Formats: sequence, C-alpha cells, structure tokens
Amino acid sequence: MTTKHFACKADEVPQDMAKIVTVSNMPIGVFRLEDGFHALLNICPHKGAALCEGPVCGTTKQTGATEFVYDRAGEIVRCAWHGWEFDIRSGEFLVDPAVKTRRFDISVEGGDLYVHI
Amino acid sequence: MFIVDCDCHNYWCSATVLEPYMEGLFKDMFIRGERTGPRGAFPHGHRPWFHPEGFARHDVNPVEEGDNYLIMKEKHLDKYNIDVAILTGDEPIEASTLANPYYANALCKAYNDYMIDYWLPKDDRFWGSIVVAPQDPHLAAAEIRRAGGHPRVVQVLVSHGASRPYGDPFYHPIYEACAEMGLPFAMHLGGQGGINSTPIGAGPSTFFWETHAILPQTAMTHMASLIANGVFEKWPSLKVVVIECGVAWVPSVLWRLDANYKALRKETPWLKRLPSEYFKDHFRFSTQPLEQPENIQHLWAALEAMDGENTLMFASDYPHWDYDDVNKLHVPPAWREKIFGLNALDVYTRLPRAAAQAAE
Repeated sequence: MTTKHFACKADEVPQDMAKIVTVSNMPIGVFRLEDGFHALLNICPHKGAALCEGPVCGTTKQTGATEFVYDRAGEIVRCAWHGWEFDIRSGEFLVDPAVKTRRFDISVEGGDLYVHI
Repeated sequence: MFIVDCDCHNYWCSATVLEPYMEGLFKDMFIRGERTGPRGAFPHGHRPWFHPEGFARHDVNPVEEGDNYLIMKEKHLDKYNIDVAILTGDEPIEASTLANPYYANALCKAYNDYMIDYWLPKDDRFWGSIVVAPQDPHLAAAEIRRAGGHPRVVQVLVSHGASRPYGDPFYHPIYEACAEMGLPFAMHLGGQGGINSTPIGAGPSTFFWETHAILPQTAMTHMASLIANGVFEKWPSLKVVVIECGVAWVPSVLWRLDANYKALRKETPWLKRLPSEYFKDHFRFSTQPLEQPENIQHLWAALEAMDGENTLMFASDYPHWDYDDVNKLHVPPAWREKIFGLNALDVYTRLPRAAAQAAE
C-alpha cells in the first residue's frame, strides 16, 4: 500500500542533475531522463553518502575486448563521495546489482511530481 | 565522544592565494612561470595517473575562496561534531616533486604562512600541519624551526612519494628539527611524479584506481627504512604518522621485518629492539581509507595484529573521493574512543587535553 506524496514541480528538475527533495522525512533525488522522471533514495548503500548529489553521466560498457564503449549517457548517477555508479531507473549498483538504493515510483499530474512511498 | 580528524584537507580554489606570501625570484616564477595545470594550479611535476573524475567529492563545490571553509564547516565539522581537525593542505605536498629545491621550499613557506594566517584563525577546531620539501633536508629543517613554533601547528607534513626511502641518513636533519620542535613527522599519500621515484616497484601502473590501491608499497618502504636506519634510536621521542596509505598490510611487513632482523641483526647493529617494537612506539596510521573486506573479521584480525587499538587514528580525508564518514568506521567498538581521539592526543602533544575531557 503506497501513499502519494508531492515531491516538487516538474520544471524544477534539471536535465543533468538530480533535484533533491525531502519526502516523508526521506532524502530523495528526482531525476529527469528521456523516458520521464525517476526517484532514488539519496543514501548510498555503501557508506550512506548523498548518492544523488553526484554527477549524472554515462559509463563504459562491459566488453570482452580492450575498448572503451561509452554507453548509457545520462542514465547513471555516481555517488557524490566514492563514485559508485548506480542505474537511475533501477537504483542498482553497476558492479553488483544485489546492492541497490531504494527507488520510488513517480507520477506526474499537471506540472506536479508525486513520489509513491 | 572526542573526535580528532587527522586528515582534513583545507582546499583553495586557486593557488594564487599564495601570491601575497611570496617574494623576489620565486614570486616571479609563481606568477609567470610554467605550470603543470591550468592557471591557478600549484606548480609540481605531475604524476602519471589522472583521476578520471577529479579528486573532490561532487557535493563539495566551492565558487569563492570563502566557500572552502563554509562548506567544510557545514558538511563535515558541524555535521559530525568533529572536535579537532588537523589541516593537511592538499596540493602543497606536491612541492616534493620539483627538482628545484629552493623553489619548492619557497612554495612550502608561502603555504605555511598562508595556512597559519588564513585557515587557523577561522575555527577553534583547526590545528595545522606545516608542509616541507624534503628534497633539501637542510632547507626543510630550517622551515620546521621557522614555522614549527606556532602554537597551533601540530605536525610536519610531506608526501609519501619521495626520491629515496625516508630512513636514509640524507633526511636526518628533518628528524633532528622535528624532535627539537616536538613535532611528529607525517607522510601523506601523494607526491608521485617529477623527481620522485615511482611508488610502484615494478614500474608505472596504468589506471588511477589500480595505482591508488597499491600505493601502500611506498609506505612499506618508508616504514622499513625508518626503522632499519635507526631513526628512532637517534630520536627516541619522534613519532611518525602515515596518512592514507592503508593499514591491513602493516602486520605482514612487520612479521617479515622481525623475522629477517632476527637472522641478520648484524647489518644494523644500532638497533636495540625488534622492528615491531619500534613500530608500536613510534608509528601511527590514519584509518582512512580502511580496507573493506567482505568479512569484517578479516580486517579486525589484521588491525589486532598491528595493535590497532593504540596505533590507529581516525581520519576522514575530507573532501576527497574516498572520504570516510565518522559513523561508518569499521573498527572494534571497544577501541573507538582511542582511535577517534585519544591516540591523537598522545601524538599531537600541543592539543589541549582539557578539550577531550570536556567532550567525555
């Protein structure tokens, strides 16, 4: 059973970084991607740092060759402190998907964004 | 709990803050001379490894010089109730990479004056490290005697990247001065490149993260060298602080040193005790970054083998990319008070003990 909480106005979320909000006493980063808005808990499962305040960027694709295929631009957030890379859509840590930060459903009503907790 | 952060980096937005503290030839060199980085960078022989994301935390973004302190205060000192922050500068330890020891020394002097002038008065929690350029130990010793008398200076700081191992008699004037001034000698990870030997025994490694992980190699060399060359017999009061070089390797090197010394004591007849005994009395290691094994017991076994309860001191490395949060230090609970603050009081003897008692 989730409850809908107002997060922020949609136009407050920049393209290339998270909008940090506090909802239901939780720090949450709201991201704008091409397919819409996404929300992650702003706490890194590694050491509790402000995960969503890190750079939104891409990463290199895993490959069997010595090559640097830059991939997924804008879909990854690196934790502000130690640089662990997380998938913005799933909250999963790229090195070990079993490690993840909590993600939240998000809905848009008019110009308002709501996080479902 | 009384918390001493033994590695708190005071940043600047631009090294031009040193201009007022320089004069003559070296001021000209500083203003118009060739630089390794963009304008505003500190001159140094640059390391071969580049951090692909930069060194600072991405939630620390100073715009004006004043922001450096304000952000540190908000995001670190106040947030975690740090009682004492030992300022460790940042770029200045890279002065050790310059071939010109006179310029390197002038840069260190300017930094020390700037640090004492600009940083120490900002906050009662600040205590300073003076930086010296060890490539000329006599100039370094003179600087220790010049700036080391300031009552809020608590240690002498160099990079762990060096031209030769720190126990070498070449460096002994530095320890003479440290002992005279009652200051510990600290080495912080850094200072690779320029005239300094590669920290990697087999030749340069390739990637930044790979290199950062194996930088303890250099600290191993310095630790063995300081012990073997009898530095602690010559200066029995001297303490050496090793900052940001990892710790879990320490027991294995001590085991090897003790075993080899037992077999070949005759090579170093000036030593009176086992290497591990010198270690316990004279070396202190900063926690950051503590190794992170899957099974924390594996780390704790290593810490126990190096008498970590007494040899470790808490450090955050604010605001660097491998910053350690006060609340996430994985050490045995019974050791916390010592590691977080009390051990530091024994090393940094200028810190007032009353502050610790008040915090209890």
